[in-house]
Amino acid sequence: MLPRENILVVDLTSGRTRREEIPPELLHAYLGGRGLGVRLLRGRHTLPPYDPAMPLIFATGPLCGTAAPTSARLSVVSRSPLTGTVYDCSAGGRFAWRLRASGLLAVLVEGRSPRPVALAITSAGEEIVPADALWGMEIGDTVRALSSRGSVAAIGPAGENGVLFANVMMGEGNAVGRGGLGAVMGSKNLKAVAVDGDRRTPVADRDRLDRARADAMRLFRASPVIFGELGIAAFGTPALVDLMRQRRMAPTENFRRTVFEESSAYSGPAIRAAYGARKDGCFGCPIQCKKSGTDGRHLPEYETVSHFGALNGISDIHAIVRSNDVCNATGMDTISAAATLSAWGEARGRFPSPDEVVPLLRDIAARRGEGGLLAEGSRRVAEALGRPGLSMTVKSLELPAYDPRGAYGMALAYCTSNRGGCHLRAYPISHEILRKPVASDRFSFSGKARMIKIAEDVNAAIDSLVACKFAFFGASLEEYAELLSGATGGHHTPQDLKAIGERVCLTERFYNAENGFARADDGLPERFFTEPGSSGEGIEVPPIDRARFEEELTKYYRIRGLADDGSFPDPAFLSGQP
Amino acid sequence: MRDLIEKYAGKLARDRSAAPGRIGFAANDDAMVEGGASDLSRLSSDVLSRLSCLGMLAAVPSLPFPEYLVRRAAADVAALVPLDTETRTFLHDIPFVRKEELRADPAGRIASLLSARKGVVAEGIGIVAAGPVTLEQAYIHYSSVFHACYVKYLLDALRDGFRLPGEAEAFRAFREERLPAPSAEGLAFRPGPLGAPEEVLAEIRDVGRYTVERGLVDSFFGNISYRVGDTIYISQTAASLDELSGCVDPVPMDNRSTAGITASSELLAHRRIYEATGATAVLHGHPKFAVAMSMLCDEAGCPVKDCWKDCLRVRMLGDTPVVAGEIGAGGLAVRVPPVIGAPGKAIVYGHGVFAVGRDGFEEAFRSMVAVENRCREEYFRRLDARRGPGQSKSE
Ligand code: SF4
Repeated sequence: MLPRENILVVDLTSGRTRREEIPPELLHAYLGGRGLGVRLLRGRHTLPPYDPAMPLIFATGPLCGTAAPTSARLSVVSRSPLTGTVYDCSAGGRFAWRLRASGLLAVLVEGRSPRPVALAITSAGEEIVPADALWGMEIGDTVRALSSRGSVAAIGPAGENGVLFANVMMGEGNAVGRGGLGAVMGSKNLKAVAVDGDRRTPVADRDRLDRARADAMRLFRASPVIFGELGIAAFGTPALVDLMRQRRMAPTENFRRTVFEESSAYSGPAIRAAYGARKDGCFGCPIQCKKSGTDGRHLPEYETVSHFGALNGISDIHAIVRSNDVCNATGMDTISAAATLSAWGEARGRFPSPDEVVPLLRDIAARRGEGGLLAEGSRRVAEALGRPGLSMTVKSLELPAYDPRGAYGMALAYCTSNRGGCHLRAYPISHEILRKPVASDRFSFSGKARMIKIAEDVNAAIDSLVACKFAFFGASLEEYAELLSGATGGHHTPQDLKAIGERVCLTERFYNAENGFARADDGLPERFFTEPGSSGEGIEVPPIDRARFEEELTKYYRIRGLADDGSFPDPAFLSGQP
Repeated sequence: MRDLIEKYAGKLARDRSAAPGRIGFAANDDAMVEGGASDLSRLSSDVLSRLSCLGMLAAVPSLPFPEYLVRRAAADVAALVPLDTETRTFLHDIPFVRKEELRADPAGRIASLLSARKGVVAEGIGIVAAGPVTLEQAYIHYSSVFHACYVKYLLDALRDGFRLPGEAEAFRAFREERLPAPSAEGLAFRPGPLGAPEEVLAEIRDVGRYTVERGLVDSFFGNISYRVGDTIYISQTAASLDELSGCVDPVPMDNRSTAGITASSELLAHRRIYEATGATAVLHGHPKFAVAMSMLCDEAGCPVKDCWKDCLRVRMLGDTPVVAGEIGAGGLAVRVPPVIGAPGKAIVYGHGVFAVGRDGFEEAFRSMVAVENRCREEYFRRLDARRGPGQSKSE
């Protein structure tokens, strides 16, 4: 059994707040983070994303506040205005740690405030404070204005203006990116949440936790992807730029090609040479994969450089870094923003020039001029322009910077992901490209359905703990189950955690099904089945074989216990869950 | 899946870690597939059906060492804790089940242990290993458990002697009949310096295979590299040394590209060895007697507890220096380069041997063979000294 935990429920319509205990059986069945958030949505999961009664949930996990590496994180959960799916997104920063230190595992915000407000939480209590003066402010100014109240999670103008891919930004620069949860927060007139807890998180068995931590750290050190001299601790995720170029799977010009010859202009070493790239990262994380410049600015991640770069045919590193700055300041997802510009660029016959991108991003955040349409995301833009086939999305979520023609597990995982075209649900790049924990054949579908199913469950457990996926380039659930046992005093095994992950994945899929999602939504854009990638250097990148893809998708459904059309054979599935 | 089952069964037979005909696999795609010895593949599939996992392997080890370790363990012990680097880093420990625990529900008991570990030893059955993501992983985990048990048994036998009926005889048979000395005879090496990338890749591929075939490494462990100008050609992480085709990364010495992020975790050690020695070839294997002997230290009253990572001394095994240091970003990359230059070889405590070639792999390969043979001789010399040379009865 897990220790007792509390949740803060905030009704912004009435201005009332209450702290209550989270039913222990829910913690046992869902842990925290993504799992708990998804469970707490139950009953309201079919409401429209902007319905005042739709909850916006911030949930940390049972490892937060302990010495478990990469665990000072939280998930934000709601329903996405971009995709219409249930949505969770995880981020690091001090916020999660301070939240747990205020005696809370989670905060559930519902209702809509009549005027802009911020929520301030301490160990002693919470208050809803007016935020009219903050409305319209960018992230940096908002965070500074609230800094006396602790760690801040805030929206920028994009969230206020309902940009469908608006972020919630953590004060330290971490983004709750993807899916537009910032717009949900904006629809509630909630500008920011500040937390300043000061309690220590109790640890049941410190020796056990320390031993497990040492085990995990040894695995981090043994992993070339994490602590290798070319790995993410050294270069940040842009370490992947050169690799994706070499594997010929870097999406280029709206996925028309898969090699961008000038990508070395924004590779990890190039960013380091231009900006210094100091180590930075989530609070308490030993890996510190994020990088900041010598001037303190947060430098872009792999997805950001590749999508503002190759996807839009831009090699100017300074333009790319400035694009990242604007997204961070206004609170927008870089992947969706860049991919929407790219689809729009292909539709109008010209990708944006380096100088055009920053003004366009500002227009999007303000919903000004063409920005009004672009703020709707790539699917709606492409449809409005009469070219729906140019939207490189799955379930309306813009695909990140791994071309599915270069990794068939990734192709499948984009489609089975409950939150749309996301790489992080099953993260097959880990084995198909990075060879962790072992290599798999990236140009084969063989065995991928089961691999994706298992990885989705594992990652749902990781998101419920809440730990960082990058830790799993070295460690496994073996070490994290031990960390959990040390933290709680219980006995948790990787198999228990996988079972929790499975429950979370199925619950999400069930919610989506109730919102009308079906097999037809588990598909890739046509381009990937009809156009080849950029073959060369001994690597063939053909179009994906549709029949084989469909066959593996059917296998995936069977392995998940679903019908061949992806539906639930048991319509009462949900009532059988805790 | 069937082709993969055949492939890994073949590898287990070739690397002589499993008894011929006593290997059983199961793989769970959308349906369960079994292959190999029917009793063992059935057990594998029974265990697998209780876990969220892709592959399972149950096999009888070619040597009784894992079995002996279980039978020699005290009644209150439930896991083997070998102290080699492989175990410390990846396995943590190796749980085991005794025969009497296996009577009621063997698959259930084994599955419950495998729910938290990569491999187990089941008394009277053998090693059962899981492949959470691929079938290859089950093979790798089997290999790791076998390697760790082998090394631990060598050390335990040396320290405590033989304790079980028939143990001494089995060990003598192993020593006399089952243990050919590794050698470089009959192998063809390309003389250096090599230049063209195809030539370098072909030589790396061949030498990688030799290293496995001559028993200097279990296929999945170890790494190998060759330097041409400012490029290091190095085997990728998680690559099997006997299957290096397409698994070698060219990495610039100055790290101006990060495409080598998939290179071996020992890239840093290789690079520093090249910088420190001017060698052109580096070979790293895990020959078992060298691993075992590196863990024996006579230093009395030494305050260091975690010798494997914290020992600062350079000890000598014959003419080969032994240093401590964790793999990857741990201390090994700092401690090996300064000592490897003159002797051309070094052993890392509990881990394995690095050997260099000044202009090609032959020198490196011969050095590694020599180190392992020398460690073997020394091991048996100490064993004989402990027991008296002619003794063969159980103690
Ligand atoms: S690895 Fe990077 S993203 Fe993950 S917790 Fe650490 S700093 Fe944050």
